[in-house]
Amino acid sequence: MLTVAVETGYDFGELLRQHQAMVFSIALHFLHDRATAEEVAQEVFLSLHRNLDHIESAAHATGWLRKVTVQRAIDEGRRRSRKPQVALEDVAEPAAAGVKPGDPLLSELLRKLIATLEEAPRMVMVLRYQEDLEPAEIAAALEMPVATVKSHLQRSLALLREKLARRGVGESGWTG
Amino acid sequence: MDWLEDELRRALARQEAPVGFADHVMARRAVRPSGARRWLAAAAMVVVAAGAAGAWRQYQGYEAKREVMLALRLSAAPMHRVQLEVRSISQ
Repeated sequence: MLTVAVETGYDFGELLRQHQAMVFSIALHFLHDRATAEEVAQEVFLSLHRNLDHIESAAHATGWLRKVTVQRAIDEGRRRSRKPQVALEDVAEPAAAGVKPGDPLLSELLRKLIATLEEAPRMVMVLRYQEDLEPAEIAAALEMPVATVKSHLQRSLALLREKLARRGVGESGWTG
Repeated sequence: MDWLEDELRRALARQEAPVGFADHVMARRAVRPSGARRWLAAAAMVVVAAGAAGAWRQYQGYEAKREVMLALRLSAAPMHRVQLEVRSISQ
């Protein structure tokens, strides 16, 4: 590790510590499987270690890790031919009367609903709401037009709103 | 802010990596072949591939030569008969 730090100016251990939550969470929220997400995240960091010589700045490291994680997670999803694990119709309906803003049940329901989205809109949602990225940044990470990113966001939000409303969850459905 | 976007940020908040994650990565990193070893392996593969290509070209040359010799042998017998025929007619 010392050798790496001296050669490149970047301490691999420090980069690992700083970015492990981001890398793991992108994989987890996209794949909806902790074990697979951990495996993908480990591979991403091993890849970073092999490519440490090419890292030019802290910002470059963050962008590089994000992009590689996105690609690895998508590849893993395809490799396992993992269709959305839960069909929308199968998602357990929460007790609508008891759901309030910030309720962990609502968070779990949202994660399950996101897992049912198609590959591209799912990753767009993860990058937008986990990483708080702007559409242009998401477009760069996914190598797609900004207009497509915005379209995925709008459609996904509308779909989620509709599914939640059907379950009695929403601004008009808050109780208490 | 939109209530749904608020809830999405909450639902998709970053989560801590599993306990021992960094240690696992460091351990796996240690058993990976170093850059120098990978280059050596790649160089060895190039040498082997070049040797195999040379041997294959030599074999192809030998095969071509063998085919030419066979063709010459096959055509020599009829030619000899034709020569005898021509000679007997001319006599």
